[in-house]
Amino acid sequence: MPGMNSGLNSDNPTLVAAFRSALLHQGLYVLLVFAVLAVAWVSAREWLRPARSAPPAAPEPAWRQLLRIGFGVIWIFDGLLQAQPAMAAGLPSQVIEPTAASSPTWVQHVVNWAGTSWSYHPIQAGASAVWIQLGIGVWLIAGARGPWSRLGGLASVAWGLVVWVFGESFGGIFAPGLTWLFGAPGAALFYCAAGALIALPERTWRSPRLGRAVLSVMGLFFIGMAVLQAWPGRGFWQGTLHGQQGTLTGMVSSMASTPQPSVFAGWVSSFGSFTAAHGFAVNLFAVVALAAIGAGLLSAGLPEVGLRAPAPWLIKGTVVAMLVLCLADWVLIEDFGFFGGLGTDPNSMIPLALVVLAGYLALSPAPAPAVEPATATQPETAVKPTTPTAHPATAATAEPATAATEPATPRPGWQAQPTRLARAFGAASTRVVLAAWAVAIVLIGAAPMALAQANRNADPIIAQAIDGNAAPLDFRAPAFTLTDQNGRQVSLASLRGKVVLLTFLDPVCTSDCPEIAQEFKGTDQVLGASARRVELIAIVANPLYHSIAYTRAFDTQERMTGVPNWLYLTGSLAQLERAWKNYAVAAQILPGGGMIAHSDVAYVIDANGHTRTELDFDPGPGTASSESSFSVELTQAAEQAMKSS
Amino acid sequence: MSARQAGLAVASALIAAAAVAGCGSKPAPSASPPPAPAPPPLTTSFASTAGTGWAVVEMGGSAAQENNFWQLFVQPAGATKWRLATPLGVADNGGLVVASPGGGSLVTGFRPSQLLTYTPLAASSDNGSNWSSAGPLNSGLTDAPDALAAGPDGSLIALTSGGAELGQRLGAAWTRLLSTRSLAATQAGQACRVTSLTAAAFTGSGVPVLAASCGRPGDAGIFTDRGGHWLATGPAVPASLARADVDVLRLTAAGPGLVALLRAGSRIVAAWYDGTRWTVSAPLPATTLKSTAIGPGGSVGVILNGRHGATLAGPGAAWHALPALPKWAATLALGSSGQVDAIGVNGGTFWDWRLAPAGWSLAQKIHVDIPYGSSG
Repeated sequence: MPGMNSGLNSDNPTLVAAFRSALLHQGLYVLLVFAVLAVAWVSAREWLRPARSAPPAAPEPAWRQLLRIGFGVIWIFDGLLQAQPAMAAGLPSQVIEPTAASSPTWVQHVVNWAGTSWSYHPIQAGASAVWIQLGIGVWLIAGARGPWSRLGGLASVAWGLVVWVFGESFGGIFAPGLTWLFGAPGAALFYCAAGALIALPERTWRSPRLGRAVLSVMGLFFIGMAVLQAWPGRGFWQGTLHGQQGTLTGMVSSMASTPQPSVFAGWVSSFGSFTAAHGFAVNLFAVVALAAIGAGLLSAGLPEVGLRAPAPWLIKGTVVAMLVLCLADWVLIEDFGFFGGLGTDPNSMIPLALVVLAGYLALSPAPAPAVEPATATQPETAVKPTTPTAHPATAATAEPATAATEPATPRPGWQAQPTRLARAFGAASTRVVLAAWAVAIVLIGAAPMALAQANRNADPIIAQAIDGNAAPLDFRAPAFTLTDQNGRQVSLASLRGKVVLLTFLDPVCTSDCPEIAQEFKGTDQVLGASARRVELIAIVANPLYHSIAYTRAFDTQERMTGVPNWLYLTGSLAQLERAWKNYAVAAQILPGGGMIAHSDVAYVIDANGHTRTELDFDPGPGTASSESSFSVELTQAAEQAMKSS
Repeated sequence: MSARQAGLAVASALIAAAAVAGCGSKPAPSASPPPAPAPPPLTTSFASTAGTGWAVVEMGGSAAQENNFWQLFVQPAGATKWRLATPLGVADNGGLVVASPGGGSLVTGFRPSQLLTYTPLAASSDNGSNWSSAGPLNSGLTDAPDALAAGPDGSLIALTSGGAELGQRLGAAWTRLLSTRSLAATQAGQACRVTSLTAAAFTGSGVPVLAASCGRPGDAGIFTDRGGHWLATGPAVPASLARADVDVLRLTAAGPGLVALLRAGSRIVAAWYDGTRWTVSAPLPATTLKSTAIGPGGSVGVILNGRHGATLAGPGAAWHALPALPKWAATLALGSSGQVDAIGVNGGTFWDWRLAPAGWSLAQKIHVDIPYGSSG
């Protein structure tokens, strides 16, 4: 997948420092917003004395509380994992790309788009993932009910989908080797499911049909996963195959090699050995367990099709068995999911268990809300009895007082009355204020990334991470007179009045020089209209292949012929050696079929002929993002020289 | 059960079944054209008309292509030792293709590698002691040992993805000789159903000859330029191979005529052209081919899979199986007096093993400084 990989080590110190710095800055904004909200809220309460909100009509059902708080905690945990130092540079190349590698080409294209965006702006993208996930986590925990809470659920669905599609390559559902044991169909899909349940309107909260539906769907899912696990020819039935590890053994072995506390690695490793020796038995157990749990959960939906409900102990026993199986899988196969410095989440078992558990809890009818008359200040909170239904659990359900934890809905014309708005804010509960803060956290994370995405050029931090910062210089640029690719004589003096970006390229080079040429070409594009004030110059850096025929061949290869301000200069060996010496460039002949060893450097010479900047221009990995980043870095240096001329 | 509930149940079951079936099934195989025949290995040796021996071998590491460097060795006419003659200044990880205009002269093409997409050329007229840049060819040489041919007047033929290019003055100027499509459109090309060009040569009198893979079984696609018309030259393969797909692996000048090495199915056949007719050898079973060698007088040597090798002294001779080759043997080198050498390489070491009545004996060992890591 070209473009996704920035090519940098995930622990590159420049990127790690920049990532930390960005998190710190945004963290300060997060705290500032919190302080402002807190002061405003307390002030509104003290000075404007708004009417206090009514007590809640009914407690939030246990299943929803479990999902909301459980997934809130998981999102916060995921956000903290995203703050690991290696994430900014490592996530696209070491998490996203390998995940997508076995998926079909179209999936790789979709994922590549996001990975490339990330690799162009690794700091902004890394930081945004941290704050968005922390924000959603706080949002879910704080927003217990009402529109704020439901919106939090929808935010979980939206971001969960983003993670599922781009981070998990659709949970790997289009890749071979899909298995529940390793997290199919993707942990983030359970985040979406939980978010959708949290976003359900309150009138659906108290019906056991919701629990039956959840358990039935999960039952079908487990049965499907059992069939998949039992499907022949996928390598799960063998611990070893022709001396090679079977599918499950191989997966477990790779997890065991993840950096982690030795005790956990020992457990996983032991299970891997056990699987290698008893692959058939392990898979048989998995198939039977998945099928049995699936059947047990599916039976919860029997009343919905007119059949007798199963005995409560059956459902309870199934859920307990599911919890035990999930826990065992989480520890022994998924290996907790978050070790190794690039773990993004605790994998699928915990979210899956939470969803099933919530479905089980939803089977028990929750207490109906108390019907209270509306207060004079909250006319919109009047309780409307619902239409009685055939189901006893919902017959007495009334629409809860949604405004109980919300600011009182203002009367028409409130826009013109800031005092009324402030009073409404003062009337809001602590949870609402915290939820508003959570929304602010999400925005603080998302805004820089959105702004970065608007810029199609990569961040110069990548170039600096590869080669360090540019070195400021101030000396008269050594003169040269050479021949360009069209056979015309060109001297440095003849370019006076223009900023000159100068480099040295070997026309038969197989790696760095073509990349540097593209970086210069990219600089020309980034400069836009200013490019007419800039001359892009390369001098041949090969003592054996320096004829004009070769500079032309290089230009044709790199499509530089259409760049109007590009000059590729050459001359006699003596002329070239003088230029190399004056600009401290080495061009050494290597034996044994080696390329000419020469310096990768770029000089910025201002319009008055003064050398202003020297940039180490080793293109490093030569990826799309690093190439773009060097172009931006060179552009910035050129613009600086234009200003100083 | 209500109709709605039943519908939901059926829909759920269908969705689950479709999901499971979709996950478990393999994608349907798509119709694709038959794979192109594997190109002959670039590892080779040959003897010029003056008796100078040249060997092209791949040395260095094997973990990454950019740590494999191709080396050129020369054994000047009359000398008994080989020496390194790799031209400098260009990374040659993509492979070297050489052509001799005669005497101690040689033109070397550097096949593209990594980001280099055109072909730098180097020329030497003193058995590789000194090189000067020639060319370049503005596109990539194809991956074949005879993708470059040199005529006695300094003309070159270079095979590229589009066809054959004709170069004047050691590649200072290039013109299109013939595109693959044009050759396929000729009467001769249509008859053999030309698919791709595989080799080029000049006859002793400087006439361009091109070789191609044919889509028609039993046809060996060798074409000669007769005043602007490309005519099939032959040869006819043995009747036992009439149903086999034939690829021309090698085609090179041998005195006034040509020598060709053909792959017909799982057999290797040598063929010699004396300007009027072809002589074809008996087929040699060969499922894999590691290297080819062309010696003086049209002698031929091949290294097959494992440590098996065979030689053919010339027209009318029979294949002669060699004793088990020394370890690391990369190519054979055939001398003028019937001498057979096995050139072995591993890492930065070159060995020359000479065949004696008692078996292989080490004649020479050379250490080559491999510029590991210099190509990125």
